[in-house]
Amino acid sequence: MRIFFDPEVLAAAWPGIRSGIGVTLGLALSSIAAGVALGLLLATVRALIRGAPLRPVGGLIAAYADVFRALPPLVLLVVLYFAAPFAGIELSGFMAAFVALGLVLGASAEEIFWAGITSVNRGQWEAALSTGLSRGTAFRQVVLPQALRLTIPPLTNRAIATGKNTALASVVAVPEVLNQAASIQAQTASPAPLLLAAGVYVVLFLPLVRAGRWLETRFPAR
Amino acid sequence: MNAVLELRGVGKAFAGVPALRDIHLAVGASELVALIGPSGSGKSTMLRCCNRLTEPDAGDVIFEGNPVPAGGAELASVRRRMGMVFQAFNLYPHLNALQNAALAPRRAAGLTQQQAETAAREALERVGLGDRTGAMPDELSGGQQQRVAIARALALKPRILLLDEPTSALDPELVGSVLRVIRSLKEDGVAMLIATHEIGFAREAADRIAFLADGEILECGAPEEVLDRPRTERLQNFLSRL
Repeated sequence: MRIFFDPEVLAAAWPGIRSGIGVTLGLALSSIAAGVALGLLLATVRALIRGAPLRPVGGLIAAYADVFRALPPLVLLVVLYFAAPFAGIELSGFMAAFVALGLVLGASAEEIFWAGITSVNRGQWEAALSTGLSRGTAFRQVVLPQALRLTIPPLTNRAIATGKNTALASVVAVPEVLNQAASIQAQTASPAPLLLAAGVYVVLFLPLVRAGRWLETRFPAR
Repeated sequence: MNAVLELRGVGKAFAGVPALRDIHLAVGASELVALIGPSGSGKSTMLRCCNRLTEPDAGDVIFEGNPVPAGGAELASVRRRMGMVFQAFNLYPHLNALQNAALAPRRAAGLTQQQAETAAREALERVGLGDRTGAMPDELSGGQQQRVAIARALALKPRILLLDEPTSALDPELVGSVLRVIRSLKEDGVAMLIATHEIGFAREAADRIAFLADGEILECGAPEEVLDRPRTERLQNFLSRL
């Protein structure tokens, strides 16, 4: 038991892990914000484009969403960090993780927003257009508010998954919680820092999981 | 006659199947024209072609002397002055009655929020719901919801109302409240084109009745002429089954 919870090792590990919490939260919040914004933007474009010349844009958005939902985030991350420099694109570990997590969440978020938008009854569009609202205003004032209700529970789950995936950034030397714990574990040859890190993740994300559960009862899928 | 709305040779097919064929019909100022006919005869399609929610394949729709524009802000401006009421109400479920009726005056007609709410409140009073302005749609009965939908159209002060079977989705005991509102609008001189299965209402409130079958107007005239002296077998059969 003592080997897993060695107080001296835990005390030595804590400062590093504490600084890792800030990095983990910073990476999680920024990539969640960017991914949700990207998804909403793309779903909005897809909902509002009309007419033949722009139709391929909708197909491109759907293709992006499919490809980036098929791609494991870890693979995208190592490609961005280790392969992109050969194309002259040098990203820091943090930037590579931010871009990878943001792109993957953006793809899921786009599909979630799109599903919400298309599930709003066509009669809502027609009622809004029949009163002379433009398509953009009908979307913003009538369709989107109803779509968002359906979007919140699945989007919360994807956001939590993205937050947890920040641990992947440890493989590209971002000093977040897992990376800090792993390097202290390597120095001390003790598993205690890893268990501390696991506890930190639970403390960080359990409230979000609980909030997601509450949102699901608050906004039930109809 | 000084027509508010006129259909000239309007036609529409869905996937090659004709839904409307060579429709000619005019609605004058403060005239109420009722469309009757079996389900699937083209009544809804005809109304939806008027404001281009459905794009007609042939013919012209003339509103206040000009063809209804194909799109953009010009079409939106015509739609504002051509109110539409749907069978399924289509109220915005996330907005209360006042917000439902004030949205287009604010966001389409460009009134201030206060002017828009005043117009919405007046429209709701006109349909007898001045005391339910804060109610959400799911707190209202079907009849009340449909009256809010009428108020939503009226708040824009339209020149004509297009009503697509406004009472067909209602429980029988709620039909009367909606028909009463439509009658009072007629007394106020609002022009209306209404698709309906309420033949009794059409007889007593309509200036003219048009009978549609298979996308064609087979008969059109004064209520007593169409309902009491049907000339076509289709209309005789239709009336005998009521």
